[in-house]
Amino acid sequence: MTDRIVRADRFCFTYPEAPAPSLTDISFTLEPGSFTVLAGLSGSGKSTLLRALCGLVPHFHGGDASGDLQVAGMSVREHGPGELAAACGTVLQDPETQVVMGGVRAELELPLEHGGEPPGAVACAVEETALALGIAHLLDRRTDTLSGGELQRVALAAAMVRRPALLLLDEPTSQLDPVAGDELVWMLRRLNEEWGTAVVVAEHRTERCLPAADRVLALAGGELVCDAPPSDFLAWASASVPPLATPAARLFSLAGLSPPPATVREARAALRGASLAPSPARAEAAPRRRTRSDLAVRLRGVWVEIADGPVILRAVDLDLASGERVVLMGRNGAGKSTLLRVAKGLSEATRGRVERAGHVALLLQNPGDYLLHEHAEEEVGPGALLRAGLAGRGRSNPRDLSGGERQRLALEVVLSGSGSRAVLLDEPTRGMDRAYKEDLASRCRDLASGGAAVVVATHDTEFAAGFADRVVLLAGGAPVADASPTEVLGGGWHFSTDVARITDGAALTPEAGAGLLRARLEEGVL
Amino acid sequence: MTLVPVYRRRPSALHSARAGVSASFCCALALVGALYQHPLVLGAALAGTLLAAAGAGVGRETLRSLRLALPLALLVALVNPVVYQAGDTLLVRGGEALGRRWDITLEATVAGGLAGLRVMVLIVAFWLMSVAVDPDALLRVFRRVSYRSALTASLATRLVPVLARDASRMSDAARCRPVAPGRLAVTRSALAGSLDRAVDVAAALELRGYALAGRPARRRLPHSRQDLRVGACALSIALIAMAGRVAGAGEVDLYPRLELAAGVAEALLAGAIVALACAPFAGRGARMGVARD
Repeated sequence: MTDRIVRADRFCFTYPEAPAPSLTDISFTLEPGSFTVLAGLSGSGKSTLLRALCGLVPHFHGGDASGDLQVAGMSVREHGPGELAAACGTVLQDPETQVVMGGVRAELELPLEHGGEPPGAVACAVEETALALGIAHLLDRRTDTLSGGELQRVALAAAMVRRPALLLLDEPTSQLDPVAGDELVWMLRRLNEEWGTAVVVAEHRTERCLPAADRVLALAGGELVCDAPPSDFLAWASASVPPLATPAARLFSLAGLSPPPATVREARAALRGASLAPSPARAEAAPRRRTRSDLAVRLRGVWVEIADGPVILRAVDLDLASGERVVLMGRNGAGKSTLLRVAKGLSEATRGRVERAGHVALLLQNPGDYLLHEHAEEEVGPGALLRAGLAGRGRSNPRDLSGGERQRLALEVVLSGSGSRAVLLDEPTRGMDRAYKEDLASRCRDLASGGAAVVVATHDTEFAAGFADRVVLLAGGAPVADASPTEVLGGGWHFSTDVARITDGAALTPEAGAGLLRARLEEGVL
Repeated sequence: MTLVPVYRRRPSALHSARAGVSASFCCALALVGALYQHPLVLGAALAGTLLAAAGAGVGRETLRSLRLALPLALLVALVNPVVYQAGDTLLVRGGEALGRRWDITLEATVAGGLAGLRVMVLIVAFWLMSVAVDPDALLRVFRRVSYRSALTASLATRLVPVLARDASRMSDAARCRPVAPGRLAVTRSALAGSLDRAVDVAAALELRGYALAGRPARRRLPHSRQDLRVGACALSIALIAMAGRVAGAGEVDLYPRLELAAGVAEALLAGAIVALACAPFAGRGARMGVARD
């Protein structure tokens, strides 16, 4: 037996035909029952490290591995994913491909049957796991009828059903709305505390997981660059790689305060202790409504009703004016994607009227669906390649580009041709790091200043706060709030930024919050 | 993708019986199609299957199978008289071309029609199995026979809805492009994407311990009332069909001159098949509580 659940010693890995290693000299150990967050920018090696821990690397993907990496005393170079599955449960990024069987109960039974468990033990473990993870009501459902959040929970349950000592999750909250994301993190924390399961989570939005974590491993270029408790990691990230710092840490760093807080609660306590807590927000006036001639898209009384199914949109009235930067928010299933599809004309409204002043560009959730050719230069012209930040990469296969690069290229694909009066983007920030999101916000601002109405459907409140001049919150297929970001994101709980929670809605972004704090400091509060 | 049969739980005897029993019921109806050429018996098998589907609450889904079965049956019915010249009753004298005669006979035409009807019975019966028998439970039965083949089938089954959704998404993305791309480019990209998807799902299967899996343990469950009803009907259909065949009921001689047996035996056989196909769904005992997705 070993007293460490994971032991890595100078582990290196290179994918087949890759010019450079994806992991270099990785050395660390993890204790049983620990909660670890893997941080890093896109392409830093987080997913590869998770795949190495579960044995897919090198056994499934091939490639060259050197050094030692042991999970529950088994070397991943000698033991494949089947053997490691007894000790470690894994949930990879796309929940749709994490589910193998047609029914939820069968999905949970499969790992146990593979492990040779007798039928009684299988039935018992399935019921126990389903109850523990709150999916007992889904047991008799077909997997193709589940939402993304439900699929995510089922995949997690299938990974947990053998009670593994180690649970590995790759971007588990990227497809979830803030409510479902928070619920998932709480569930992981419960598993960690009550079952003693060691958890390793790779996340871009570390603020969700850090309150539960006791350790952070940060990767850059395939190397382990930080291995520290959350507060030390935040101090390191604020100084060395600001995009990895949480909004609360950036707020403190920009205001010249230290130490950086790991949670909203710590941040509020620190500000209260220093008598720096800003006054609650005064709601800004709603943005001026444009005249009819400015309108890019107008929806009037739009309904989308599925025959023998639910109502997706209910009597939606929405005006999108030229130059506006609008963010659409709401829970999974609130109707955001359908609204964008109707605005584009991709889906028909069952009732109501849609008026478009010109071409409407729509970028759907999977950018890869737009990329049909062997080379990036066949998708768009040289000018668009330059705008996508892919100058000199024209001969690259779009499948070899990173997620962010594919997203940028797909955006140029839909924007090619005549000028668009409206540009609609569905979840473009999903699974992207902060550096990419800032690039995307900058490109969208350029489009808006060029006269297009830009609408982004997202769950990312930080992106919304930094980009939008108007936020529309959907619930049950209808807008329930349509106002400035301060009004919508400043006073909410789930649909709110960390900085807004810390400052009671006085500021939404770290930059704005830091400005307020600096002003308070200059007033001589201290 | 309306031409992909999809299983959904419903409150019916066929859905509630264990997978092996329900599959046997559908296979028994298909067996009639495989053993007989007689139009009355084939018609009874087809009607029995459609009535059973209606009784199981999947009538509309099973009727959808005719969109696949009818063109195929029609093709068989049309091709047979053209390519097969046997039979004494000449309907059309087609003359000589490409080094052979192109006559059409009554016997070959009827044979084509009956072969087409047979194809329809088989397709509709297996379609009923696809929409009314839980594929996971059925694959579990097969896993005890051939573990890896059954899991490969699971993987393929799972990929069908995933790829259908991918294809739908790619088609939407193509509509969003300012200039619609060619079908070839979309198809090529969809094929490349399906390989990626297959790799992802295979990786998930590996993570569930597939590589080390052995034959699963046998589950000993008591037989339910629905198991007994459906199983008894399946067994009866299969036995009657085989007994009738051995006894020479439903004989059809197609060549050189068409001769169809048309007596009490055929009528009884057809009536029994329809009655037994409907029997699991008749009476108070067949009514189930509602169980929905």
